[in-house]
Amino acid sequence: MSWRSELGRVYAFAKRNLLMAARNVFFVFELAFWPSVGVLSIGLMTRFLELTPEMTAFLLIGTMALSTIQVCQLDVSYALLFDVWSKSVKHQFLAPMEIRHMAFGSWLVGIGRGLTVFGLQALLSWWAFNFDFFQAGIPALAAFLLGCFLTSAIVGLLVCSLVLLFGTRAEVSAWATVNLVMVFCGIYYPVSILPEPVTVLAAAFPLTYVLDAFRSHYGFASAFSYPVLTGFLLSALYLALAHRVLAAAVTRCRRTGLLLKLSE
Amino acid sequence: MLAVEVRDLAKTFRSGWFPRRLTRALRGVNLSIPRGVIFGLLGPNGAGKTTLLSILATLLLPDAGEAKVLGHDVVREARAIRPRLNMASGNSSFIWSLRAPEILAFYGRLYGLHGKALARKVDELVALCELEAHRKVPYTELSTGLKQRLALAKSLVNDPELLFLDEPTLGLDPDISVRMRAQIAGLRRERGTTILLTTHYMREAEELCDEIAFIKNGEIPARGTADALKRQIKIGDVISLRLDPASGEGLTGLPGVLRCVFQDGRVECTVDSADKRLPEILRWLHEQAIVIRDVDVHEPDLEEVFVELAK
Repeated sequence: MSWRSELGRVYAFAKRNLLMAARNVFFVFELAFWPSVGVLSIGLMTRFLELTPEMTAFLLIGTMALSTIQVCQLDVSYALLFDVWSKSVKHQFLAPMEIRHMAFGSWLVGIGRGLTVFGLQALLSWWAFNFDFFQAGIPALAAFLLGCFLTSAIVGLLVCSLVLLFGTRAEVSAWATVNLVMVFCGIYYPVSILPEPVTVLAAAFPLTYVLDAFRSHYGFASAFSYPVLTGFLLSALYLALAHRVLAAAVTRCRRTGLLLKLSE
Repeated sequence: MLAVEVRDLAKTFRSGWFPRRLTRALRGVNLSIPRGVIFGLLGPNGAGKTTLLSILATLLLPDAGEAKVLGHDVVREARAIRPRLNMASGNSSFIWSLRAPEILAFYGRLYGLHGKALARKVDELVALCELEAHRKVPYTELSTGLKQRLALAKSLVNDPELLFLDEPTLGLDPDISVRMRAQIAGLRRERGTTILLTTHYMREAEELCDEIAFIKNGEIPARGTADALKRQIKIGDVISLRLDPASGEGLTGLPGVLRCVFQDGRVECTVDSADKRLPEILRWLHEQAIVIRDVDVHEPDLEEVFVELAK
């Protein structure tokens, strides 16, 4: 196994996602339209409700996290969905590539697109609502973004697994799965207001800790000890698990013949 | 040295929940294919051709039996096999927005090519498959023939030792099919590639394949060269005669004559071997003072063998 070949395989998926992003109009909507609508509508709502700057920050942080995760995880999902939509899945799995190449290559493009969305939203929220995203400092911001991107990778791998397990019926999960995050991780509210059994579930999501850590820089006391560390450790655990689940889904797909059906 | 070795290979597809439907696609297939040949796999729709090919290409896991490709087990050693084989099918499809060189470069990278070697390979394949004029055209705008040429080009990106071609000329215009067949023959001749080909076109199989196996209901009932298969199936040769007077009822009783049909002033005798029986028939007609106006001998073609086997 040569490193150049390994990197070449990762680059293959990254370049393919980039080419698709450059040539398909729906990517413009993903990058600019929906994120702008999200920030503006939430920001205007905070103004209407006459929320304090801290509460506005709380909601905008949640909105921007959600948009960034959504765009980045879509890229990871696209690594498989492009082939499903074009009925070319079998060519990819015929080649000597592994899930890590597919996931990492597309994730890198997802990070690029996620940063673009984040930049756009940060600029918009600073201009329209006076919200300074850099107030927390660069290290905290970097940890926040990394936490979001790790969550994206996990969600993206999960979507790929669902598509390989249930076929094209599961395509919708690419857009729906991330909404689980919205409910359980406290995008628009602190997880403490969730009913008791659900808080346990919320504590199992790494993004809960990432949001908690970042919001602590905007006047909200952290509900967890070592939230950044916990968030990253959980992310690493789930990434490993998601990778295993996807590998198992590929094997099952080879056994059931779904891999061929997705190419017909 | 064998390129493919298959023993008692079985595969059943399961679908639906209630009732659970089972489709036995392969029922204990045995097959061996030597290296450097073009091997044809013929059979009616749903016979198991694509299932067999897909298992050999490591895209599908078998339920039972054993399959070795280039000396490696397709289940346990799939990673060792994949860099050495490739596949193209008549219904191949690629990502709609990408152009031919981008598609080839994508798969080239997956097969470990990079830098100048990758660029050279892409240019070589674009030229080989006559895609130069369409370099900038998105995949979705290519014609069927060009798409199939691109599929063939993609299947050569890693210079495979073993190439699976699943109905590569499906739906192509005759002139393009002829060129595609020439390219396939050239691959074996110039690169020594072992090719396993499935096709519905008997002429294609007869023209290209060194050996042919018939697959039906997931089993292989016959295999051999096209000529050997014709002999093996014993459809018989047909001797067609125009006689004066138009009679010859006694022909049916001659040795080796399987049946005679009288139609439109001609008699068509199906015999076990035209070489052996024609002199005997001519002698008998001469003895009966029947004048022979016209004789025509027709040997069965592969299509007739196919029809016979598919019954």
